Amino acid sequence: MNKLIEANLKAVLEREGLEPKAGDLEQFSEIIELYVGNLRQLHSVDLGSEELAPVFRPEWK
Amino acid sequence: MAVAEKPLYYLTIHEAQQLIRERKLSPVELTQAVLDRIAAVDGKLHAYINLMADSALASARAAEAEIAKGSWRGPMHGIPFAVKDQLDVDGAPARVRQFTKGVGDATPVRKLREAGAVLLGKLHMSSMPGPELPLPRNPWNTDHITGGSSTGSGAAVSGGMCLGSLGEDTAGSIRNPSAFCGIAGLKATYGRVSRHGLAPLAWSLDHCGPMARAVEDLAHMLNVLAGFDDKDPTSSAQPVVDYTTALREDVKGLVIGVPRDYIDECAPRTAPIVLRRVDEAIEQLKALGARIESVKVPTLHLATIANAVIYYNEFWAANRNAASSVLASGAAQRRARIYLGLLTNSSDYIQAQRIRSRCRAELAQVFEKVDCLALPNQNGPAPRVEEVGPIDTLFKHVVPEYHGPFNLTGLPTLSVPCGFSESNLPIALQIVGKPFDEVTVLRAGYSYQQQMKWYEKRPAI
Repeated sequence: MNKLIEANLKAVLEREGLEPKAGDLEQFSEIIELYVGNLRQLHSVDLGSEELAPVFRPEWK
Repeated sequence: MAVAEKPLYYLTIHEAQQLIRERKLSPVELTQAVLDRIAAVDGKLHAYINLMADSALASARAAEAEIAKGSWRGPMHGIPFAVKDQLDVDGAPARVRQFTKGVGDATPVRKLREAGAVLLGKLHMSSMPGPELPLPRNPWNTDHITGGSSTGSGAAVSGGMCLGSLGEDTAGSIRNPSAFCGIAGLKATYGRVSRHGLAPLAWSLDHCGPMARAVEDLAHMLNVLAGFDDKDPTSSAQPVVDYTTALREDVKGLVIGVPRDYIDECAPRTAPIVLRRVDEAIEQLKALGARIESVKVPTLHLATIANAVIYYNEFWAANRNAASSVLASGAAQRRARIYLGLLTNSSDYIQAQRIRSRCRAELAQVFEKVDCLALPNQNGPAPRVEEVGPIDTLFKHVVPEYHGPFNLTGLPTLSVPCGFSESNLPIALQIVGKPFDEVTVLRAGYSYQQQMKWYEKRPAI
């Protein structure tokens, strides 16, 4: 796995007090790298002033 | 095939309800026939993880007595159904919950029971925790998978082991097994069917919906399932219509959009036979009187990854308290979702939500010109069991494909069979509608189905 992604994942796991299952980081390295790569595409589009999808509604139900 | 020539376990809900209402078929006889079928074939198909035969027969006897007194509750009265394990059932909470309590009957289960339907039991879902259970097999060829994660729901309907089932769809989990198993499946508009009692995968993407042999069966089930539920904070108060009004063989004047650019984007990962069968189906809809228009949805290519980001973040949030146990002993897919959720930051999640808004706005513009969309529903026919790894589904979720965009946008989406591959495995067409316009989606699917009659073919299990 890409060293930076691996270090990032280990850091957030540690922050949450979690241990990865033995062998998982190797087993899942391909999907993790593909996912992180595609996350960058998510930011490739200029959304201008587009707001969030779930809009806060203040009324009582 | 004439109704009288069909085995009882292969009746559609529509056929069975007519016979039951006319008292030509007893719910007990029908339920027993389905239980016998389960005994005969589920050893090969592995759809059920919790068969409730005694309570099913008791419910069937109660239905029969009521109908005999002239108290027919409606088309689902006396109809045997089963549910994906992700839905809570009184006394049988969803196993996927692991560390939270069930709620008794999930609202969709309660509504079907109140309509007099007969609950047969709970069905396998992929990535369930606990001891490994045999993977359900595809009734069309038991060397192949059923698709997931409503694995058992697809196998049970297709194999004649219930007349209808409930599935759940976060990124295609109703539509994928419906396509692979040659049955009809409906992911209604987000908020149309209550999620109360559905163990969450991702709150804002999860949809509960019906799976059955024929489009008219979905309309009967949706008539019971649809409606506001104050126990589901995202339930919609939009008025419910009679979905059986969709059951007319007429698409004349309907404008059907085909997102060609998006299909081309997905084409390198789509088997040619799927594209061919879907093109044939679209041509058939045109021959039936629909007008076909090519449409563009510019941001749709980012919808699948946006859906995945929301999915894994909400999954991580929903499972945070149980994360150490999931990582220690959970199924591979669940462990991988935790890692992917952890790798996503708030900026990614917010960007995914903004893409959701953009896609919704673009689709709203498209739907000013068309009544529904038609596109493929799968990358290929059901693969062989040994070809599928434990986390292969996740690879599908992070590159442009046909399901995630419509979880992201919450639009009603139908899977309807549209033929077979060279090796006799089912292929399906996907029809997408405007928010809460399930009627148009069902109408297009029903018209096509009635013309082609693919649903009358049966697997040789």
